[in-house]
Amino acid sequence: MKRIIVACGSGVATSQTVASKLERELEKKGIRVKVDAVDMKSLDYHIKNADAYVSIVKPEKDYGIPVFNGIAFLTGIGMEQELEKIIDYINK
Amino acid sequence: MENQIEIREDLIFLNCKFKDRDELLKFMSDKMMESDKVNKTFFDAVRERELKYPTGLNTGEIKVAIPHTDPKHVKSAAIAVATLSNKVEFKNMEDPNENIGVDLVFMLAVADPKSQVPLLVKLMSIFSDKELLKKIKNSKSGNEIKEELENLIKE
Repeated sequence: MKRIIVACGSGVATSQTVASKLERELEKKGIRVKVDAVDMKSLDYHIKNADAYVSIVKPEKDYGIPVFNGIAFLTGIGMEQELEKIIDYINK
Repeated sequence: MENQIEIREDLIFLNCKFKDRDELLKFMSDKMMESDKVNKTFFDAVRERELKYPTGLNTGEIKVAIPHTDPKHVKSAAIAVATLSNKVEFKNMEDPNENIGVDLVFMLAVADPKSQVPLLVKLMSIFSDKELLKKIKNSKSGNEIKEELENLIKE
């Protein structure tokens, strides 16, 4: 199963919310992936075992894995497009 | 139940005027402290987190911020709401170099992130409902906002 990580400042509210929302949206489309919320401090560690990174804060470096926009899942702005991109990647 | 949150009218503030973000954070933190929802350390923690990881969100016409911090500064789950009569500048969560003039603030006291996720998901669904954001921004009473939020989080 593919693993997606979502990171935010403290790993408390925002990343957990986005992770849960993303998991649910994917489930609706019949796609099961593991979505984990982590804090920014442990991002470098977790990213080694992840297939994709959903960012809350715009990344400053290249992690070598696909990065998607997590803010879309908070504000709903551009969410469908972002979801499509993630699904395309998972199904690749 | 630990995944419950009590929406309190006395933590809803209408048409507030603040000179800057710190004044706003201080006011709302103090109110939460007076209600015994958070520790004394909450304000400093929220303020610092805002500097490092800002919480302004570009939600369209009505822009919001969701200041929050580590659960260790929280006694029990709570939310404080402020509608602002003049915009207060926050930094953008997505890009800390960008300013966002915020109209609505939802200050979150998260006590137990894991068990409160379903609740947070429901609460945060508000950000994609532009009409509801506008309604809350223009609310004339705290009770009206309380009812809207309660609607949002009930099953």
